[in-house]
Amino acid sequence: MAYDPALISALEPGQLVAATMRPLPRRKLSKGVLALLVLLRVFILIAVPVVIYAFVHALLTPH
Amino acid sequence: MSDSTMNFGYAKSSVVGAEELFTYEDVLRARDRLKVLKSRAAKSSLRLLWLLAGPGVLVMIGENDGPSMVSYATTGATYGIGFFVPFVLLTFLMAYVVQEMTVRLGVATHRGHSELIFQRFGPFWGYFAMADLLFGNLLTLVTEFIAIQAGGLYFGVPAWASVAIGVALVIGSLAFRRYATWERMLMGLAAFNLLFVPAALLAHPDGAQLTHALATWGPVPGGFTTAFLTLVLANVGATVTPWMIFFQQSAVVDKGLTRADLPQGRMDTAIGAVLAAVAAIATLVATAPLFAAKVDVSQFANGADFATALAPLIGSTGASLFALGILEAGLIAAMTISTSSSYSLAETMSAAETTSARHSLNLDFAHGRLFYGAAIVSTIFAAGVVLIPGAPLLVMTLTVNVIATLLMAPALLLLLLLANDTEIMGDLANGRLANLAGGTIVVAIALVGALYGVITAFPNLLSN
Repeated sequence: MAYDPALISALEPGQLVAATMRPLPRRKLSKGVLALLVLLRVFILIAVPVVIYAFVHALLTPH
Repeated sequence: MSDSTMNFGYAKSSVVGAEELFTYEDVLRARDRLKVLKSRAAKSSLRLLWLLAGPGVLVMIGENDGPSMVSYATTGATYGIGFFVPFVLLTFLMAYVVQEMTVRLGVATHRGHSELIFQRFGPFWGYFAMADLLFGNLLTLVTEFIAIQAGGLYFGVPAWASVAIGVALVIGSLAFRRYATWERMLMGLAAFNLLFVPAALLAHPDGAQLTHALATWGPVPGGFTTAFLTLVLANVGATVTPWMIFFQQSAVVDKGLTRADLPQGRMDTAIGAVLAAVAAIATLVATAPLFAAKVDVSQFANGADFATALAPLIGSTGASLFALGILEAGLIAAMTISTSSSYSLAETMSAAETTSARHSLNLDFAHGRLFYGAAIVSTIFAAGVVLIPGAPLLVMTLTVNVIATLLMAPALLLLLLLANDTEIMGDLANGRLANLAGGTIVVAIALVGALYGVITAFPNLLSN
């Protein structure tokens, strides 16, 4: 495929695929943030099965 | 040749610096950027906005999906024109505040939401965020095909035919292998979301009643009951959902927006919010005659039932426009939601370095097998579920809405954490005001999600 190499200069260096493939450094999470994330995760892991149970219950209950 | 080298198959270039490689994806994005740079140089603000608009409009109109329009229709048919008109405007203001953060994240980091979570918070949270999204998206896709099927049935098209056409259009939209083409095509389709406006006009709404509702946030016929609360929660759930966060940030990156484009990115999001709010309020207004005629909509299964009930009240033209709007709502949401799954899966796998997966609508099929595969497989799966004979579509739609609302809390917390991350955001990190607004919305939506889940899963809890 023909293209003009100068075209690439329309992109900022950080936009190039090669640049975006370089991983960003890992961030250290504070204990408070970590606790909040874990709390929400536990909430989801409990809530979603409850909703699925309610769905199955609604299906099996004759109206 | 390693996997990562194989992905950079086009050329080495000295244009952007020593030893930098660029790909075909870069070339296509650079072409789009060149047009933007020329417009900026020519100080052509309207053309610049036109070139840079897209992710915001698509995400907001995409969220006016099948189940959302049914929520607005139920609201209009149950409460008429009153409290919910200004309330819907408020929910779109909330959506703007949330989505604006994704624009800043995209232009500051040039990374999609999933890869940012994976890289900054590690694989544990990265995989969980992706799994939440893919699970929620897969279920939501089913409800979009329910809307497509319902819209088709109103016009006498068999369910299998509407679903098959829907699948063909969703998969066909990916065949362009070009972000810009995909985006413009969807924006054209998104315009049909405004079909609810002429449908509302055919309902001959009372202008004074609308003005009164906007000024007084009332009336609330029947008072503050559990049914009222459920509709409040459903309307919030119809406006802000996890896929929107992931989609807009990835689309902003795929489109190639930079810090200089932030004003247009914000404008794009605001225009999308206004258009979507207009369509939502129009849906509410169009179904208000059902409230006046005291039609019981509690057993309505989908948008087609509303269209059928509206025909004697607003005429067959209005009802047909309504049904066509429902069909369009499902179709455009199926396109955007399946693409958000593609972005998330490929971004996470790429960040995990388990594959050389890329994540762009500018990819060819050879380099985007995982990316395109995710959208195609999830679309076919969702369409298949809808066609199962006797599938409980109404209960499924309700359950899917609840699950999507529940999944919002962790998604919004991660968004807020990233928007406050000064190491990656620099001066675009959230300020005090943005945190106050964003934090309030995050807490409110998380509580709403939990409450909506409890009320829907245990409908008798509050009435006892």
